[in-house]
Amino acid sequence: MTIEKNKKMNKGEVTQIERVANEMFLIKIKVAADFNSRPGQFVSILCDNHTMRRPFSIMNFENGEISVLFKKKGEGTAYIACLNVGDTVDFIGPQGNGFHCAPEKTLCVGAGVGVAPVYYLKKVLGDNAKLVAGFQNENEIPFCLQSEIDFIATDDGSLGGHGSIIDYLDAQINEYKPARICVCGPHIVLKLVAEKAKQHCIPCEVAMEKTMACSIGVCRGCVVTLNRNGKIDNASVCKDGPVFLGEEIVW
Amino acid sequence: MVDLSVKRGKLILKNPIMTASGTFGYADEFEDFIDVSKLGAVVTKAISLKPRPGNSWNRVIEVTSGMINSIGLENVGVEKFIAEKLPVLREKNINFVMNLAGSGMDEYVELARICEANKIGAVELNVSCPNVKSGCLEFGTDARTLGELVKSVREVYNGCLIVKLTPNVTRIEDIGLAAQENGADAVSAINTLKGLGMKLSFKNGKFSREQVIGGFSGMAVKPVALGVVNRLKQVLEIPIIGLGGISSMQDVLEFFAVGAEAVQIGTANFTTPDISERIIDELAVFMEENGFETLDELKAVLRHFPPR
Repeated sequence: MTIEKNKKMNKGEVTQIERVANEMFLIKIKVAADFNSRPGQFVSILCDNHTMRRPFSIMNFENGEISVLFKKKGEGTAYIACLNVGDTVDFIGPQGNGFHCAPEKTLCVGAGVGVAPVYYLKKVLGDNAKLVAGFQNENEIPFCLQSEIDFIATDDGSLGGHGSIIDYLDAQINEYKPARICVCGPHIVLKLVAEKAKQHCIPCEVAMEKTMACSIGVCRGCVVTLNRNGKIDNASVCKDGPVFLGEEIVW
Repeated sequence: MVDLSVKRGKLILKNPIMTASGTFGYADEFEDFIDVSKLGAVVTKAISLKPRPGNSWNRVIEVTSGMINSIGLENVGVEKFIAEKLPVLREKNINFVMNLAGSGMDEYVELARICEANKIGAVELNVSCPNVKSGCLEFGTDARTLGELVKSVREVYNGCLIVKLTPNVTRIEDIGLAAQENGADAVSAINTLKGLGMKLSFKNGKFSREQVIGGFSGMAVKPVALGVVNRLKQVLEIPIIGLGGISSMQDVLEFFAVGAEAVQIGTANFTTPDISERIIDELAVFMEENGFETLDELKAVLRHFPPR
C-alpha cells in the first residue's frame, strides 16, 4: 500500500546553513519542483522529539530553494541550528496568506529577525519598494542582508541611525512617500508602526507572530482579535494571517 | 482485504482510528493532508449552544513530549455548525461524532435535542466543563452529577452517546460506571490532564516567564491514558475508546491490549497532520501480513497473553 504524497507536507534537503549574525542563522532548503510561495508566507518545521512544529517566515524562494532566517532562542531553533548540509527537513507549507504583492510604492519595515519576510517582499517588488530595518546592535544584523537594506537603525548606534527604527519612521515616510507600509518584527514594533501609518493615513500590513501548535488553522492556539467594521472576532495567525491590516487588529 | 470495522452496540465504525476533539477542527481543514473520509470517525471541535470566543491570553505552550492548551473551547456555536459545517461533513461522507460542551445540565440537554432533531448519529459529551450552577465543579469529577447529566441527555437523544472522561479524578471507575448505568453507549478516555507549562529565561539580569495553565496532552500522557483504560476495562461492559498520547500504530496496539475498542489520535495531528491516515494504512498492512482477518481477532490475541 502506498501512502500518497500530499501537497502541503514537504521534505527538503538542507543545501546551506550558516551563522549570519549573533545567534542568527540562515538555512536554505531544496524544495519540490511544484513548490511556490509569496512574501509573508511561512513554513512550519518539524523538530526531532518536539510536539510543536516551529513556524518561520520564508526569506526567499529562488532556484528551487527556500531561505529561512532564524534566531537561536529555544530548543526548536537549537535543533535546526545543528542541522547539516544534506540533512532532511520535514516542513508544512507554504502556509498563510502573505503580503499583497501589488506594484505600488511600499515601505518595507523589519525589526530583528523580522527583516526576513519584508526583505523577500522588497525583492519581489523591486524598484517599487524601500527596505528599512532596526536591530539591537551591529552584531545582530545578518551580514547576508546588510547591503540589501536601504536604511538601518541600531538601538545602541553601533551602525546606521542611533535608536529604534520607529524613531526614523516619520522621516522615512515623508521622504519616500509610500502608498503602503509592510512590517514584521516584535509585537510592540508592529503596533507602533501601525500607529504611525495611521497617523500618515497610509495602509499598513503587519505580519504577526504567535506560538502555534498546529500551524494549519485547526487548534485555535494562535488567534489574534480583529475588529472588522465594528465586528470583533478571532482570527488565526497561521491560516487567516499571518499578514493582517494594522487597522483591523485589536492591539 | 482485512476487516478493520468496529461494531459494539451503537458504536459502529469502519475502522478504529478516530481523531480527537479540538485537534481536527471541523475536518475540512485536513483535506490538504489526508483523505478525511477514510477515518473511522472525526470528533468535531467542542460545540456549545452559543458561539464562544475562547480565552484571550497565550493559549499554547510546548512542554517535554507534549503541550499545554488553554483555548477555552472557542467554537462557532451549534447554530452555525448545523448551518455551515454539517452539510460539508455529510456531503463529503465523513463519519463524525459531534463533541458537546455545556455550562449547565440544561445546555447539554438542549444541544442533545438539536442533535437528535438533525439526525446526528453520534455525540461525545465533553464533561470537563465547569458546571456554572454548582460552584463550577466539572461534571466529570463527580459520579452522581455525571450520572444525572448522562441520564438527562439519554432521555432526549437516541444516537450513539459517548462520554469523554476526565482523568483528573480519584476513582475513574465510579465515573465510568455512572456513565454506563445511565445509558451511555461508550466512554472515551482520557481528556487532558491539568497542567502548567512554563518557559523561564534569564537575560540581561532579568527573568522573563511565559506560561500557560490548561490541558496537558501529547506523548507524555500515554501511560496515564493506558492506566485509565486498563482500570475502566475491569469494571465496564460498554466499549472504551482510548486516547492520550497516541502517535503510532504501536501505541494503538497498546490501547487495544488494555481493552480499548477504538482509539482517537489527538495532539499527534498537530505534529504530523497525516498521522491518522498513515496509522490506518499501517494497521491494515500489519494485519494482512500477519494473518489477522478481523480487528476482533487481533484484539483477542493482544488481550489473551498475560503481561510479564
